[in-house]
Amino acid sequence: MRRHRTLWFWVFVGPFACGLALFTYVPLLWSVGLSFFDAHNTVTPTHFTGLDNYAAMLRDAAFRDSLKTFLLFTAFIVPVTYGFSLALALMVNRVRWARAFFRSVFFLPAACSYVVAALIWKMSIFNGVRFGLANTVLGWFGGDPVAWLSTTDPPWYWLVIVTVRLWLQAGFYMILFLAGLQRIDPALYEAAAVDGARPGWTVLRHITLPQLRGTSVAVLLLLVVNAFQAFDEFYNLLSDARGYPPYARPPLVYLYYTALGQGQNLGLGSAGAVILALVIAVVTVAQARWLRLGRTDGDG
Amino acid sequence: MTISRRTLLAAGAGAGLLTACGSNTGRGGGGSGPRLSQWYHQYGEPGTERAVQRYAAAFRKADVSVQWRPGNYDQQTAAALLTDSGPDVFEVDGPTLDQIRGGQVLDLTDLLAGVKDDFNPAVLAPKTHEGRIYGIPQVIDTQLLYYRKSLLRDAGVEPPTTLDALVDAARALTDRKTKGLFLGNDGGAGVLGGTPLYAAGFPLVTDDGRVGFDDPAAARTLGKLHRLYADKSLLLGAPADWSDPSAFLQGLTAMQWSGLWALPQIKRELGDDFGVLPFPADGDRGRPAVPVGAYGAAVSARSRHKDLAKAYVKWLWVERTDYQKDFALSYGFHIPARRSLATEAAALREGPAADVVRFTTDHGYAQPLLWTPAGQTAYQDALSRIIKGGADPERELRAAVRKVAEEIARVGA
Amino acid sequence: MDDALVRAGRALRLALLAALALLFLVPFYLLVRNGLADERDITSPEWTFFPADVRWGNVRELFQDPSVPFARSLLNSALIAVATTLGTLLLASLAGYGLARIPYRHANKVFYGILGTLLVPAAVTFVPSFVLVSSLGWISTLRGLIVPTLFSAFACFVFRQYFLGFPRELEDAAQVDGLGYWRTYWRVVVPNSRPVFAAVGTIVFLGAWNSFLWPLVIGQDQSAWTVQVALSSFTTAQVVRLHELFVAAAVSILPLLLVFLCFQRWIVAGVERSGID
Repeated sequence: MRRHRTLWFWVFVGPFACGLALFTYVPLLWSVGLSFFDAHNTVTPTHFTGLDNYAAMLRDAAFRDSLKTFLLFTAFIVPVTYGFSLALALMVNRVRWARAFFRSVFFLPAACSYVVAALIWKMSIFNGVRFGLANTVLGWFGGDPVAWLSTTDPPWYWLVIVTVRLWLQAGFYMILFLAGLQRIDPALYEAAAVDGARPGWTVLRHITLPQLRGTSVAVLLLLVVNAFQAFDEFYNLLSDARGYPPYARPPLVYLYYTALGQGQNLGLGSAGAVILALVIAVVTVAQARWLRLGRTDGDG
Repeated sequence: MTISRRTLLAAGAGAGLLTACGSNTGRGGGGSGPRLSQWYHQYGEPGTERAVQRYAAAFRKADVSVQWRPGNYDQQTAAALLTDSGPDVFEVDGPTLDQIRGGQVLDLTDLLAGVKDDFNPAVLAPKTHEGRIYGIPQVIDTQLLYYRKSLLRDAGVEPPTTLDALVDAARALTDRKTKGLFLGNDGGAGVLGGTPLYAAGFPLVTDDGRVGFDDPAAARTLGKLHRLYADKSLLLGAPADWSDPSAFLQGLTAMQWSGLWALPQIKRELGDDFGVLPFPADGDRGRPAVPVGAYGAAVSARSRHKDLAKAYVKWLWVERTDYQKDFALSYGFHIPARRSLATEAAALREGPAADVVRFTTDHGYAQPLLWTPAGQTAYQDALSRIIKGGADPERELRAAVRKVAEEIARVGA
Repeated sequence: MDDALVRAGRALRLALLAALALLFLVPFYLLVRNGLADERDITSPEWTFFPADVRWGNVRELFQDPSVPFARSLLNSALIAVATTLGTLLLASLAGYGLARIPYRHANKVFYGILGTLLVPAAVTFVPSFVLVSSLGWISTLRGLIVPTLFSAFACFVFRQYFLGFPRELEDAAQVDGLGYWRTYWRVVVPNSRPVFAAVGTIVFLGAWNSFLWPLVIGQDQSAWTVQVALSSFTTAQVVRLHELFVAAAVSILPLLLVFLCFQRWIVAGVERSGID
């Protein structure tokens, strides 16, 4: 009987596990292997260099900068998206009129790709010349055109990068929050009303937010994982035929140019990727600890 | 239940479809003669693609399929060379030293036997490593400064011949609607590259293989570029970048740094109301500079028909001078890589075009082979920080010098 | 007075929502405006709210552009998105069910082995994945674009969480009828789990349609371009034609918006019942 079950287990899980092993674990181990070699323009290197690539990457100011950029970006975008999508969900949930309309409008951008969104942002809203939308609006108030993506002081490019991500993602997380809000037992609110609590801040703080705890944990984890993978909007907004500017350059973009560009330094790129993975693992595990992930009830 | 079965069926059909589409990559066996695949990057000018296909079809010994590849061409070829699914023959803005050292491209020296001296030495040099040639230059491209004569006249500005004059002119030409100068949306760090250094009399890498710009005067020159930015004379954030003359033609800027390829379009739209200049000189040792470069034809070491691929390159880029001339002059606007063809070309004998040919002969410089991508990135980052961030040029340049020196040491070993 | 306050608050909320909704719609408006305009209208210093003469010809021009096979890239994207969605749903739901329901000594280890891959960023495995796919001879093939992306640990995780909460009574009844795991799964579990399939399916579909970096590197040949790669090539071309760029972007999101509006109800229902949170 047990052997029978084991067999069935592998019938169900086997295909997925094999694929994952082939397309995730094999490349992963290969990459770790490459990082110990001098691998210029080759994936089957012969010149073993030990930890040289790691030392070189950690000494590389540009890589350290990119890690800083990425931590800063994560620390900023995660709470902002969280707050914004929660606010949207609370407002849409309370509105009585045209609720489906609002939900659709905020959710619709989730269907757009970063490529399309970056294009609209770069070429139409935030281009640096007089016929860009943002500059047109500025012009109505007598302002001079601003080169949004090229100005480093003040760093206006962050405005472009952050708004693009908010537009694309807020709706999806709003839906998650809306689902969470639907699940809250109305009796809780009634009891609060009987106790004399006024709708508003008190109820939000003592009933809504605690009840949303499960959703919040999921949203935060998804947000952090997504921020780690940030590549598309940076690449499409800021790169040009000659490369990428030395600011707002997250590690994935930097490694892309190191390993996959004409540079083709695959050993160094792999070492950087391994370092990045370690940073991500540490951050995620710390976050899970902090949110006490294990404690949430897995009621689904 | 019905859903699940339909799902399975659809998945099966999908898999069948995939297998059917799978092998359709435009290369591989089948057909009569041996097949070669040849890659070009996307040229903007209409007609070029058809022309190169016509040349390929005229080659009798093999069935050459041409692939026209928009997008990030250098990265595509670099990645494709790691695998067996890359091209046999490809044009490349290189090959890079690491591609040569890694044995990814074949030695083509013997293809040029007897005609080597006819090729422009400035663009042949960066294709040569330890006396061997790894790429056959196809055409010469260059970049230059376009200026609008009428706008300069109205502002009472002379065409600038020194970097200081350029900075002043850009400021004088800037008003609420029009900027003085366009050096690309990144402020110039990308497209200018080593040009300002050459204009100040410093090479990127010296002939004896040392960093050429380890000098306070070089830092001073780069610092002047920051003034352009700080004066708000630079156009930034245009929808089309420096390679496209749109910003110049739309009147967003009075001067623009762009490629030779933009000249016909500018001439068509502005008539005589424009002029061309090299990058102006700076300092006592300085002289004007324009970058020259050439896409070269190279043969992949992973090609399954190496000799045939070499024979094809020799046929097209050495023997068929009629095609070479057609390619350089009939579609876009390039200077032929062979001196005998360049002197014949009527289109290059008068007006701004003649000026440009003179610039390339008198002031042209080509990026040396020792200027590796990693070194270039370090320098470009430094230049960007100097121009836009107002960073201390000497400190930034020191860091770049260190990185470039490391790279030279690595590849020289 | 309190009532007035509440009503004012309500009006304020509605006004705020309306303003935000308007802002969220601006990018869509720009796509259409620029896509149907003449180049001169787009670059004109005077803002025009909508092009005076609407140029539907831009759409035709897009599909006839010889340098970018736009129709082919749309087809590729559709094939890839559909195949990826179906494949992912099949593989991940089976695995999720096995992990949730079939007792096996090492099931937990397998589960953590799958979950752990969520922590590894794509960058780490990117270059070797590329070489692996190319050594399989899958560069510029649809196989290369689809198969490696089928094994989504995220989807597997969602399914496992969902099946953990699936009512056991239904399966027990099926087992009494003598159905094994396989038939129970197909006859009882799947038909009763449509919302979660719809939710995960939509997310996977969107991800596949919008994915950029993998197709950029794998789809080297023009015949294997996806619509995102085609779009991106418009922005890096030597000469940028704005109206073509925008009309291409508009066309590329149109099918998706339709799918999205139709399935929205399902996504919401699926999210509510799934283990995403």
